[in-house]
Amino acid sequence: MAASVLEVRNLTKEVPTGGGEPFVIFKDINLSVKEGEFVSIVGPSGCGKTTLLRVINGLLPPSGGQIFIDGKEQTGVDRELVMGFVFQGASLLPWRTSLKNVLLGVEGRKPSREAEETARRYLNLVGLSGFERHYPHQLSGGMQQRVNLARALVVDPRILLMDEPFAALDAQTRTFMQLELLRIWSETKKTVIFITHMISEAILLSDRVIVFSHRPGRVRSEFAVPLARPRNLDIKSDQRFVELENKVWKQIEEEVKAAAGFSQL
Amino acid sequence: MRGSVKLFSVVGGFVLWHVLAVHVVNDTALLVSPVVVVLKGYDMLFVTADLYPHLYASASIFFQGMLIATVVGVPLGFVMALNPIMRDYLTPWMTALYTTPRIAFAPVILLWFGVDLASKVIIVFLGCVFPILINSFYGMRVVSREFVDVGRSFRLSAGRLFLKILLPASVPFILAGLRLAVGRGLTGVAIAEWFGAREGLGFLIFFAGQTLNIPTLFVGVSVFAILGILGFQLLKVIEDLATPWKKELPAK
Repeated sequence: MAASVLEVRNLTKEVPTGGGEPFVIFKDINLSVKEGEFVSIVGPSGCGKTTLLRVINGLLPPSGGQIFIDGKEQTGVDRELVMGFVFQGASLLPWRTSLKNVLLGVEGRKPSREAEETARRYLNLVGLSGFERHYPHQLSGGMQQRVNLARALVVDPRILLMDEPFAALDAQTRTFMQLELLRIWSETKKTVIFITHMISEAILLSDRVIVFSHRPGRVRSEFAVPLARPRNLDIKSDQRFVELENKVWKQIEEEVKAAAGFSQL
Repeated sequence: MRGSVKLFSVVGGFVLWHVLAVHVVNDTALLVSPVVVVLKGYDMLFVTADLYPHLYASASIFFQGMLIATVVGVPLGFVMALNPIMRDYLTPWMTALYTTPRIAFAPVILLWFGVDLASKVIIVFLGCVFPILINSFYGMRVVSREFVDVGRSFRLSAGRLFLKILLPASVPFILAGLRLAVGRGLTGVAIAEWFGAREGLGFLIFFAGQTLNIPTLFVGVSVFAILGILGFQLLKVIEDLATPWKKELPAK
């Protein structure tokens, strides 16, 4: 059993609301992710999944709890770039070409020729050789997310945090990107935390699916995905896939209903 | 198609002007035909050549004023955007200076600095600096949080975050500020040269008005207009060069 590379203990995030009770985004999250594991987090909208990822990455400070990497507690942000972040939507810098967007994380950290070679290698990995000089607006949505993925991978992080990276894509492109991610993951052996709304996406990609409750977000349940790798789209018709999808959906349905009931009080 | 609309607009405007001057107003003490203005302009450029000292004097204070306004306005805008204490400290003064009509300052500045180059440049500077400052300020304030987070996820230092994310994201706003400043700068030139100048396009117009020299008056005004258009176009070219990623966006 591999040791956990990332561990989160009792992590809580709240934001002050002028005077009154603080607004609790998520509460007492406990999470442990093993080296090389692909973990997805699904949950109803507004349950704090994205905020959790931002707190883990250090983009936002936690209100309570601890984050451990390799058993060492994190205080402040990791300067060593242990984590890479794949943002949702249009986060590519429009004034930089694909190559320069990918270079962002390595320029200044490596000699420029080496940095450029690395960037080209990762663009090649995501299937974008020949598009080095294209600006983001000249690329399709799927290609933009490939650049986005290459940009996060270029610093060779051990943990990849992916915040609904395919949410803005059409259904076909999204399916292709899921398969591409499976391929890239198997080639790079990264530890991945993947946020999504789409249950089938979470099951297809992950070793483990974590279901979040409605806000304030808590870990409601965890499911190991009992499907062998390498995977392809055929597993979607596997009995175990269908059963798991239903089980997860039932829980999310309950959470969504509870959240709606809550807001009607 | 769109080019021909522009051409039609310009030619039509001149024809209307000509018809108004010759057939409606018909009084050369009030309005002259554009043909007369063009001939007078030709005369002042290539025969008597007495336009050049004015052109040179005006261009000189314009460029100096613009340059100083850029050098002061852009960093000051950035500082106000990035430092909340500086923002709160400077905002009341900036608002007061910006909203006061500049022409109200002109006599005071002339009194303090005399009727020479310095006071004229200061008047132009006061005209140009605010659009540049305000645009630089907003450019930096509205940088997408996502872009900043991308930089922070790579643990860029504050300096690198500024150079690689904030500054390039603000460039289109700064250039738009410079374009706004061209018009206000030329107004500044006219105001500065109105008060006690001995040369310059503003003086030329003022003097021609006083002596009812209508053709010269219109030449002065036209040169101002042409300078404004040229300045605007020049900045458009600079904008295209500085922001190549925008050039290929589909025209709407």
